[in-house]
Amino acid sequence: MTEILTLARKEITDLRRNRFMVVLFAFLAVAVVLSVIVASADFRLKIADYQHYVDALKAAGSSATAPEPSLFPLQMLRGGIEYLEIIGSLFAVVLGYSMITKEKGRGTLALLFSRPLGRYAFIGGKILAVVLLWVSTVAALFLVITASLLVIGNAPLHGGDYVHLFFAAAHTAVYLIMWSLLAMSLASLIRRTGTGLVLALVLWLVVVLIIPQIGDTMDPDNQIPGGLFASLQVDKSHEQAVMAHFTGYETTRDLIEQTSVTKQYERATFAYLGIKNEYNQQPLSFIWAGTFNNTLWLLAALAASVSTAMLSGTKKIILRKVS
Amino acid sequence: MTATAISTTALTKRYGPHQALRELNLTVPTGEIFGLLGHNGAGKTTIVNLLTTLMEPSSGTAEINGHDITTAATAVRRSIGYLPENVQFYDNLTLAENLIFFARLSGVRSVGSRISEVLDFLDFSGHENQRMGTFSKGMRQRAGIAQAILHEPSVLFLDEPTSGLDPQGVAKLRETIISLNTKLGMTIFMNTHLLAEVTKTCTSIGILSSGTLIYQDSVDATLKSFPDQESLEDIYLHIEAGQRA
Repeated sequence: MTEILTLARKEITDLRRNRFMVVLFAFLAVAVVLSVIVASADFRLKIADYQHYVDALKAAGSSATAPEPSLFPLQMLRGGIEYLEIIGSLFAVVLGYSMITKEKGRGTLALLFSRPLGRYAFIGGKILAVVLLWVSTVAALFLVITASLLVIGNAPLHGGDYVHLFFAAAHTAVYLIMWSLLAMSLASLIRRTGTGLVLALVLWLVVVLIIPQIGDTMDPDNQIPGGLFASLQVDKSHEQAVMAHFTGYETTRDLIEQTSVTKQYERATFAYLGIKNEYNQQPLSFIWAGTFNNTLWLLAALAASVSTAMLSGTKKIILRKVS
Repeated sequence: MTATAISTTALTKRYGPHQALRELNLTVPTGEIFGLLGHNGAGKTTIVNLLTTLMEPSSGTAEINGHDITTAATAVRRSIGYLPENVQFYDNLTLAENLIFFARLSGVRSVGSRISEVLDFLDFSGHENQRMGTFSKGMRQRAGIAQAILHEPSVLFLDEPTSGLDPQGVAKLRETIISLNTKLGMTIFMNTHLLAEVTKTCTSIGILSSGTLIYQDSVDATLKSFPDQESLEDIYLHIEAGQRA
């Protein structure tokens, strides 16, 4: 265990001093936080507008009551989550991949593997470093996001909202760790650095962009601007009645989306943050009942990536794959 | 400690159809500075990779201080130090951070005092807080030796240790190698191309040709056995030519 901690500590110190990685993480943080700040400022404006309206009514001596606008602060995280989902996973791939290829490229593997390390110590140290890095990064990001909601958005967050934020953060950390470990496995298994990176990026492209895009395109709501049924002025109950005749189509669309771990992450996170309307303002038990399969798929993907990284990160395999 | 530091029995390594090492039988007694000579591709680095447990043999066995490289690899790693050719470090870390890292991985207990001791021995103190990315080739090589001897190994493997060094660097390294052997009692196994250096540094030599050990003896005995040859370089070329014929 000591050697795993030593390796993880070295990895984190090395990454902290790596300018390229610092720039990547700073870019991700700025993108996510900015999107939440902009949404928070908008949220504050809407509340202020409402307050002005109410004040104006009162000043005019009107006894009319203005209905409160339906504003849900956690929904402001949509942009940030999408950044983490797409850019975050891309950076996770770059991070995981470089953690192995740098060792291969600079020739430090001989110094490591000629020492009395346990079979899984090397990769164990890398995995621990990735976990610590993403957990701390996501925790810091969500703390800043929460502060932005409270301070900039002046958003009234309640106890339950913090729990929902925690679940969204936990899903995000799992998702990003999974991508880093997957890239790490590819870097261990493939001799040529370029080939491995291209494969990792193709996998990222298919899982993060192409499959979700196919699912989105098949969604009637996305086929024309504003949504097919909305443009035909068909209400929700009639829409459901129509779609009942297309269950095969919907099942196919759902299955396509479910093959993407990104979509599993998105569905669960959007549910916990109330971005998906059917889960908005619902208790945790209701959200869990509706999304536990997404969480389980995400955890299964994490377990698979940990196992693959462990098995492919042994001395025997890594040294065999050094060009 | 056994009287034999390194011994191999019919040690063979194949890469697919290519046989890099053919049934090598080699014995290096404890306390020697053994120089392994051979042309490019002769299999010198393969031997070092096998003996440092970085590779597994296709057949045959080898022992370091009585520990089998396949069945007791961890014990072997505890008793060896290794300086690869063109040694590289973590450039974003300082010398001290690199050495602390490798010392901990090698199970060194009093890390701080041991690093000071090693750096003093190598006359390399004062660079601890300098990032490795700023080091010259010669400094890297000394740092490489420092990482290799942190855990007080009894056998030290050096793969082309003088590669890329200027004449001053070569002389300094030679002094270091000799003092590691004479003052600390380390057995040293080195691969090298510089035959002049072998005469000045090594106590015994082996010549490898196309994966086969074609000669092994002490440097003194070798020089006496070939009175017609002027230098070790001539002897080496003579033996190599005889092998080809």
